[in-house]
Amino acid sequence: MTLSLSLPQQGLRRYTSALSPLAWAAVLVVAVVVAVSVFAPALAPYDPDYVDLNNVLAGPGAQHLLGTDALGRDLLSRLMVGGRTSLLGPTLVVLGSTLLGLLLGLAAGWSDGWAGKVLGRAFDILFAFPALLVSMLAVALFGKGLVAPIIAMTIAYVPYVARLTQGLVVSERARPYVQAYRVLGFRTPWVVLGRVLPNLIPTVGAQSALNFGYVLADLAALSFIGLGVQPPTSDWGAMIEESRGALLGGYVLPAFWPALVVVVVVVAVNVIGEEISDRIGGKLS
Amino acid sequence: MSVMDAPAGEPRSTQRHTTTPGRAARPRRLRFVLGKLFSLLLTLFIASLAVFFSRFLVPGDPARFLLRGRSPKPEALVEITRQFGLDKPAWEQYLNWLGGILHGDWGRSLTYRQDVSDVLLNRLPTTLQLVALAAVFITLLGLLAGIIASLNKGFGDRFILVTLTAAGAVPPFVAAIALVALFAVQLGWFPSFGSGDGFLGRVWHLTLPALALGITYIAFVARVTRSSMNEQLVREHVEVAMSRGLTRSSVVVRHVLRNALGPILTVSGVMIAGLLVSSAIIEQTFGLTGIGQLLVQSIDRLDFGVVQAIVMVVVTAFVVVNTVVDLLQPLIDPRIAAGTETR
Amino acid sequence: MSQLLNVQDFTLGFAGRDPLLNGISLHVDDGEAVALVGESGSGKSLTTRATLGLLPERSQHSGTVAVRGLNTLTARSAELLGLRRNKASMIFQDPRAGINPVRTVGDFLTETLVRWRGLSRAEALERAVEQLEQVGLRRASELVHQHPHQLSGGMLQRVMIAAALLDSPELLLCDEPTTALDVTTQAGIVKLLRDEQQARGMGMLFITHDLNLASSLCERVYVLRNGRVVEHGSAREVFLAPQEEYTRQLVGATPSIELDRVPAVPVAVEGEEPILSVDSLSKHYELPHGDTLTALDQATFTLPVGGSLGVVGESGSGKSTLARLVVGLETPSEGTLRLGVVDRPDRPLKARERKLLAKDVQIVFQDPYLSLDPRIAVGHAVADVFRLHQKQGRRQAQDSARELLGRVGIGPERFDAKPRALSGGQRQRVALAKALAARPRLLVLDEATSALDVSVQAQVLELVEELRDQLGLTILFVTHDLAVVSRLCSQVLVMHQGRIVEQGPTARILADPGDDYTRNLIGSRPRPLWDRDVITTP
Repeated sequence: MTLSLSLPQQGLRRYTSALSPLAWAAVLVVAVVVAVSVFAPALAPYDPDYVDLNNVLAGPGAQHLLGTDALGRDLLSRLMVGGRTSLLGPTLVVLGSTLLGLLLGLAAGWSDGWAGKVLGRAFDILFAFPALLVSMLAVALFGKGLVAPIIAMTIAYVPYVARLTQGLVVSERARPYVQAYRVLGFRTPWVVLGRVLPNLIPTVGAQSALNFGYVLADLAALSFIGLGVQPPTSDWGAMIEESRGALLGGYVLPAFWPALVVVVVVVAVNVIGEEISDRIGGKLS
Repeated sequence: MSVMDAPAGEPRSTQRHTTTPGRAARPRRLRFVLGKLFSLLLTLFIASLAVFFSRFLVPGDPARFLLRGRSPKPEALVEITRQFGLDKPAWEQYLNWLGGILHGDWGRSLTYRQDVSDVLLNRLPTTLQLVALAAVFITLLGLLAGIIASLNKGFGDRFILVTLTAAGAVPPFVAAIALVALFAVQLGWFPSFGSGDGFLGRVWHLTLPALALGITYIAFVARVTRSSMNEQLVREHVEVAMSRGLTRSSVVVRHVLRNALGPILTVSGVMIAGLLVSSAIIEQTFGLTGIGQLLVQSIDRLDFGVVQAIVMVVVTAFVVVNTVVDLLQPLIDPRIAAGTETR
Repeated sequence: MSQLLNVQDFTLGFAGRDPLLNGISLHVDDGEAVALVGESGSGKSLTTRATLGLLPERSQHSGTVAVRGLNTLTARSAELLGLRRNKASMIFQDPRAGINPVRTVGDFLTETLVRWRGLSRAEALERAVEQLEQVGLRRASELVHQHPHQLSGGMLQRVMIAAALLDSPELLLCDEPTTALDVTTQAGIVKLLRDEQQARGMGMLFITHDLNLASSLCERVYVLRNGRVVEHGSAREVFLAPQEEYTRQLVGATPSIELDRVPAVPVAVEGEEPILSVDSLSKHYELPHGDTLTALDQATFTLPVGGSLGVVGESGSGKSTLARLVVGLETPSEGTLRLGVVDRPDRPLKARERKLLAKDVQIVFQDPYLSLDPRIAVGHAVADVFRLHQKQGRRQAQDSARELLGRVGIGPERFDAKPRALSGGQRQRVALAKALAARPRLLVLDEATSALDVSVQAQVLELVEELRDQLGLTILFVTHDLAVVSRLCSQVLVMHQGRIVEQGPTARILADPGDDYTRNLIGSRPRPLWDRDVITTP
């Protein structure tokens, strides 16, 4: 007897109870980065925007743990405060797209006939608009900054969650246990929200964790090309952009730190997402 | 396995399937192709609506919107109103725009004072070369890493997997910075700027950008290759092939890799849009004059007509490539056109 | 010449765990057909695969598995290739999974010939066509250009056999080659295998969970349980006079048709409405390409209160569609379906109607692994039904659930267990309890015991009988297995390709079938080799 493993056979608890050491490390990294960002104003040793032209491009030392940038600003402080803008965007996008995607996906998966088909087709069309492109279009329409790109990206990431949810719901509702609920006379909303939805959450959560990494990278890229966060506000992507001049002059550190943080955070959320997805049979893109 | 899908299971009666493929399958195949072409047109149509009417999301006077950042002289306002037909109803504006696009008239760029189509055509080759070179890297390195990982369980697999996880998390712009820092600034092997002359010069100038562009996708393709092959490796038909005395390499090539191609191709198709968009960042970083850089500059210079055109080009490229991929799928897996297997 | 297959004291397992195979010894001589019988997890597949040197990765093993003197446990890979190419061939359980779906049938057949028999593609194809014709496939020259999905399961298994025979093996290994097939198809495959084995003088090792099947094909039998050989001997001895307790149980649990044990048709109460009456009921499906599939065609029958009706048919007969119509999972296309005093509307049911219907009819599905919600503890799942239908509070519902689960043989210690912690048989018991918690009058069992091992199936059937008598349930039992029907159902309805071909009292239909298809169905049941000479064909 071969078991179909396309869906979790059990609840969330099992996924958190036996994480691999690597996944624990990833969770720890994310927790630390989030905590530091939240409390950055209290923790940061310097005002992140304080310009000290007597102390430009200093190496790491007792005064400036990570050194300073081309304007003499403390890199550690900018990094900590920059985490706020850099993480807030992805958080909002992932929350919004997961919620919307779940709702639309459930609706599309559960409705027979044309409604499901129309929604599915709509998701397909949305797929043709990559998130970064949509957010660039949003900037072109509404001006630079993060508000328009965040809204645009939320919409652009909806189909990723919705398509996944729709597929899961369709395969789930064909399963005997869901049919048994119907035959037993349970009401559809109770079955869908109370019984089917919880079974999908680990899979969708894994996808959303992966999405978080993509959004973080995309928003940082947007700031990097000067369309997102505007100077002097600190942001990881913007910090890398500001350091390009110094980089070509041989000063690597001002670009290295924010790049490192971006990569580490993305790796960490990817590891978490993969850990969940591995446990449920690995059906994610 | 499941008996619940009774309706789907029923057509498997003997009578239905003794018909020769030629007679029954040909209209089915034709319908498959026509269906894909229809959905191509539908998607493009709706995409064009979205791209065109996105302008209407901005409140206020459209003429002033289009002229942002430039002196709103009365004659300029009159000119822009005439050029975009802003005094006409929305649907007529759309039809004119669409008609223009279909006839190769993509409007005029406010920045370059040229036809948008000319600006685009000038810059397209650079982008296409960049993406093509990146695609070569992605295909070669991605497939190779995926195959090696899949066939070497244990240490090799884990090592490659960890590397892929790390590589997949490096956003293109970070990769660009890192490659420039290492290979251009420190080692001086590759140029960090410009697109070079002649074929070799081109390749030499495009190597770092293409690698930076491709690194995430290399990891992506490698992962899909690995998991797609792993999925095939445990299939019974692979065990059957082994039991018949086929060598390991024949089994891998004929039964594992061959069957794993479908998902790999699908993923490659989806990647195209991402590559084109990411090339905007890469071109900006490396000072390559492609349409990606044009997109960033046009957003910066508030040249909305050009932005609209580029968005439409990228979306069209994505939809066309994916339709081609969909049409290729039945050649890889004959069950798809027959409708017994859906992806 | 050394013995064809000789397995001595073969043990296999993974480090730190109990061995999967424990000291297995068996042998197969030239021209001999030997069966390896066991339930799931007995290790019969592992043993057969080891014969070809196909061992699970990182497994530890000892003993010898020798084919013509070559120990496959220690042989070099070149020797193993030679063995697989020239000496031994294997036929797998599911031909649809076993033949590469993206390549043509011809490619499958010829790939060995072209690779090391030195034939050109054209010659190889010619040989393949001949072989296909020999295993009983018509229009073989067209078949070789088709893909597996265009062939039926029975045809594919013949292709698989043809491929094995093309290599002219001395030893043919068969791993449950008919389990995925319908019984009438199975009969053809079994005859083909027997004929080929006899004609070519091959040795054959035939793996099956079905004692009946083993005895219809093999002279000698090994009975396997938990990785050990429990008993072996001639098929007739093992079957008729089993020595070991386990074998006795297995023989006892193996379903067989015994006409004197068929339940009697209950005497209909004068004037009482039947619980289920179906008149000219049809169900059509629109297929994606515009064709219409008639899954159920003009079915007409009644089921009296307290009756037990078996619906028998092969895959595609429409029996599952009928079951789904009765429980309201499908909407009729034509005809009437009357349950109790309520006529079924020809539209999807509303929530209120579904809840009312639930009190009348419940269903238990086939697959024990999919029919319970994986996240919900079994006690909770049953209590939910009590709360919905019996308007009980949380406490009371839990008590009721505990009591009912106890009645189906699930003790209170499993009340909080998740389905994954239960065996297949236990899950089906829970599914049964869930259905009964709604206190239905009619219980539909859709192949509810087909996925279970025979000994577990026997227990579950016993439970169903018990509950039927205690609760006065009416039973609609959908199955492919005539023997199960003969045991449980007083009346039977035979379906074929969407139509009811025959219906009536079970005893009458089994003894004296009036329809050719029914006769074929009964005649296709495997019959022991030693019975063949006694029974003359009617």
